[in-house]
Amino acid sequence: MKNAKALSAFVIISLVVAGYFTGLQSPMKTPQLEAPLTIDDGQVEHISVSQPGVIPATNYTKMPQVTRALHRQTLLVSLKSTIDPLAEIKIDPKEKQLALQRRDGNRAYNGAPPTIPHPIDQISDASCVACHGVGFKTESLRISRMSHQFLTNCTQCHVESNPQHLKPAVFRENSFNGVEAPKAGPRAFPGAPPQIPHAIWMRVDCMSCHGTTGLHGIRTTHPWRNNCQQCHAPSAELNQTFLVAEPQFFPSPKIVE
Amino acid sequence: MDNDQPLPLDAIQRRQFIKASAMAAATAVAGGTGFSLPILAQEPKDRIEWEKAPCRFCGTGCHVQVGVQGGKVVAVAGDQNAEVNKGLLCVKGYHVGSALYGEDRLTKPLLRDGDSYREISWDEAIKTIADRIEAAPERFAFYGSGQWTIPEGYAAQKFMKGGLANNHIDPNARLCMASAVTGFLATYGVDEPAGCYDDLDVCDVLIMWGNNPAEMHPVLFSRVTDRRSRGEKVLLIDIGTRRTRTTDACQHYLEMKGHGDMAIANGIAHLLIKNGTYDRKFVESHCNFKAPDDENPNLHGKPITFDEYKRQLEPYTPEHVEELSGVLADDIRMLAELFGNPELKITSLWCMGMNQHTRGTAINSMVHGVHLLSGHFGTPGNAPTSLTGQPSACGTVREVGTLAHALPGGRVVADAEHRQQAEEFWNVPENRINPIPGYHTVKMWESFCTPTDEGGDIGTIWVQVTNPGQTLPNLNKLFNPKESNKANLEDKFLIVSDVYPTATTRLADLILPSAMWVEKNGVVGNSERRTQQWFKMVDPPGDARDDCWQAIAVAHELFERGMDGMKDRDDRFLFEVNGEDDQPVPIWEWEHYYDVNVDKHLFEEYRQFSRMKHKDLAPYDEYVKARGLRWPVVEQDGEWNETLWRFSEGYDPYVKQGEDIQFYHSSTHDDRAQIWFHPWIAPAEVPDDEYPFMLCTGRVLEHWHTGSMTRRIPELSRAMPGGYLEICAEDAAAYGLRNGDKALVESRRGSLVIPVWIDGRGQPPRGTVFIPFFDEMLLVNDLTLDALDPFSKQPDYKKSAVRIEKVSS
Repeated sequence: MKNAKALSAFVIISLVVAGYFTGLQSPMKTPQLEAPLTIDDGQVEHISVSQPGVIPATNYTKMPQVTRALHRQTLLVSLKSTIDPLAEIKIDPKEKQLALQRRDGNRAYNGAPPTIPHPIDQISDASCVACHGVGFKTESLRISRMSHQFLTNCTQCHVESNPQHLKPAVFRENSFNGVEAPKAGPRAFPGAPPQIPHAIWMRVDCMSCHGTTGLHGIRTTHPWRNNCQQCHAPSAELNQTFLVAEPQFFPSPKIVE
Repeated sequence: MDNDQPLPLDAIQRRQFIKASAMAAATAVAGGTGFSLPILAQEPKDRIEWEKAPCRFCGTGCHVQVGVQGGKVVAVAGDQNAEVNKGLLCVKGYHVGSALYGEDRLTKPLLRDGDSYREISWDEAIKTIADRIEAAPERFAFYGSGQWTIPEGYAAQKFMKGGLANNHIDPNARLCMASAVTGFLATYGVDEPAGCYDDLDVCDVLIMWGNNPAEMHPVLFSRVTDRRSRGEKVLLIDIGTRRTRTTDACQHYLEMKGHGDMAIANGIAHLLIKNGTYDRKFVESHCNFKAPDDENPNLHGKPITFDEYKRQLEPYTPEHVEELSGVLADDIRMLAELFGNPELKITSLWCMGMNQHTRGTAINSMVHGVHLLSGHFGTPGNAPTSLTGQPSACGTVREVGTLAHALPGGRVVADAEHRQQAEEFWNVPENRINPIPGYHTVKMWESFCTPTDEGGDIGTIWVQVTNPGQTLPNLNKLFNPKESNKANLEDKFLIVSDVYPTATTRLADLILPSAMWVEKNGVVGNSERRTQQWFKMVDPPGDARDDCWQAIAVAHELFERGMDGMKDRDDRFLFEVNGEDDQPVPIWEWEHYYDVNVDKHLFEEYRQFSRMKHKDLAPYDEYVKARGLRWPVVEQDGEWNETLWRFSEGYDPYVKQGEDIQFYHSSTHDDRAQIWFHPWIAPAEVPDDEYPFMLCTGRVLEHWHTGSMTRRIPELSRAMPGGYLEICAEDAAAYGLRNGDKALVESRRGSLVIPVWIDGRGQPPRGTVFIPFFDEMLLVNDLTLDALDPFSKQPDYKKSAVRIEKVSS
């Protein structure tokens, strides 16, 4: 039982690596990534799968052949974190653009659940939570933490972008043109905190995207502030807070000349 | 922007922060300067407008918020004000907007010309249909579905039964939930679940009878399992023939053989009586006992006493049930113990496992029986609930009654009083409605595929909103003959209204392009009696038009030609709709169809039918305001109130005060429900030496039914590109099959070459294989059996014997 758990944890982690990059090659929106993605500032996330030290992806069907040695090498706790808490975060508009394009790359529209860029266990939700419950970042791997509260049926919303059992092929062309992620939230004046430009629903944990494991360009510059919504106001419309979209008021005083 | 220098306060905070985070380096987060980004000052020119609609796909009835920009759907969000889904959707729902934009949408009427088609005008298309009907109205059949909206189904129903006096109208729901209907009728005398989804929020035990809601009704399943994330305890039991994603979340997996469910239900009842743990008070006050009447099989059966019932159950000891079902005797005892505990709140869910069953009526009645016998009925959390697969299987098929034997509001054509009421509401001459039921689905298609001179008396079928070329069982008998020239079917004519080319349009003589979902107005009804409304938000592509308009346009063409059936008692057109000036609006002309809200007009007319069976519907405008309302919706003190638990005092306004539980539509007219005994009966086909495997068919999470919509959605299509044969590792090894190998699967009715996926999405036991039916290139229904339930006429897609052979590539 323990073995089975450990094994599935291994498989998930190891498969994440290859899957992460294959997932980026989304045929759906074909984001204009300025490939290859290399930014020379020491915070490079992208590496090639053939680079030394990277765990090779294991095909699902070859699971039984996986060696125990390899298994030990890939426990989540033994992975070397590349998170540097002392690093200053600088936001480069180019990086930000890339990050947003990358996000668009594995979802149909802003607000759609992202597709899974790696093979999955067809039945077990526990295997998802093993990594995505925590969130992690190594030199080669970025595991985002769940951005919503713990829900127990992961594949209800998230599906594989490249399944292993059959060669993926889009059955028919589709011209759905989903709304893209907003470039930024609106601000009242320069220096004012921007409003949150997306719904908060299912994005309860801001740090999932805007924290350490988030993509460069959309990470917060001030992670020590914990109460995000203290300064960044949500949108009542996007959050479906009100059934009436416009605030209502009493009529203005009637002024007689 | 001049804030490259951090503010003093920021700097202090940052220093403290780094100090703290150094100790927890692995999880800490780095800080940075307060770099500000360019301001997005002006609003985008064309903002996104959000509006409510129920999801296009399954019978759960989630509400979505549809984001429209520039005349196109650009985003979808779960509707947080919807009680059904509380803001959550499944992956199909999130991508429902893409279903409109597949590049190969049908946009022009197409008429067959040999092996190809030519584009024709709508005028010509409507005239072609009218010609076919006029030539032989009695040989015309209308085949629809649970995806017809309520107004669409109602218009088709009125056109056929009230106009053509022809009862050959049936829906694909015959293949889907007909046995659920007969189960409800046999038990309560009236259709549809008494409970609702709120049961899922409070039940202690959830039993799934041959059901995989984790994939098929994921939003409902999560509604239960997510309770665990909140620290609640709920016991989940999966009674199934293969392991699925549902099994993963269940404490107990009871693996049974096909038809084992009948033995299990009897086993539970046997123990409840033997142990004296049945609810004596409930049974004595509210129940009768029934057994099938073999000489005159009908839904009334013959009454039996409690002692007879007990005697008939005697053979069903846990050990005998184990023999019949494969479920361990101890597990049968466990189930009986749960049902025997009045403190527990028990909800049962089922869907195709119990409905696509040659004893579907029986097993549906038996599961109701277990709940009634144990008193697990009528209070929150205690409910036997069948789920539906289509957005309006309940609303349109079951309530509007688009079935060959039915009239709206629970009426039947065989009943003179019901006919007379319908004629009254429709204002058509007396005796217009034909008292003889039309052909049910299988008979309709069998007749269509039989040459006219051999008695095949259906000459034309008009198919709307469904794909029988993929979903009928035993396609080689019921659909494919249309293709072959040898079959002598040249005079048969197939009309198909759809949004994409499908396995059905492949053989169509006339293809009509339809509008779908938010390209038109609509009203549907979900699995929990909830009626839901939406408005048109975007235009359909090209010349695609509403299905409802298509039917009305044909009706008007026939009216113009002087066909009496298209006139009411006052010689007015059957579908006359007046505008604000009280003058008829020419809704049969597409340019004027949206001059009035035709949906509202049809719905208000239909609403009158809903009172007889106490399935009261509110006025259309109430549904505009709500995220659906569960019937009976009754006006009390100026408010329209929905009903959560039917037959239960305090919830259902039609239950008399002091009655506690009142089955006020009882078939025995004594306010009692019927507890049925049915003997275990073997499946219609069981594996043997020649065909050693049991083939089960079904759905997968990513694709909705035949995939004609979802396979055109890139995210879903990529996740689940094609069909496969699911087989366990041992059986695969025995046949030398590895993942990706091709296998030839043969039944007595057809064959299929299909890739193998060992322990694929689900894990079948030895001797069972599974093939999903969504792939139009791998039609599993070439293999399936067309044996029917004797009452509901629903086929069994879950149990066909097949053999397997490796295909060397």
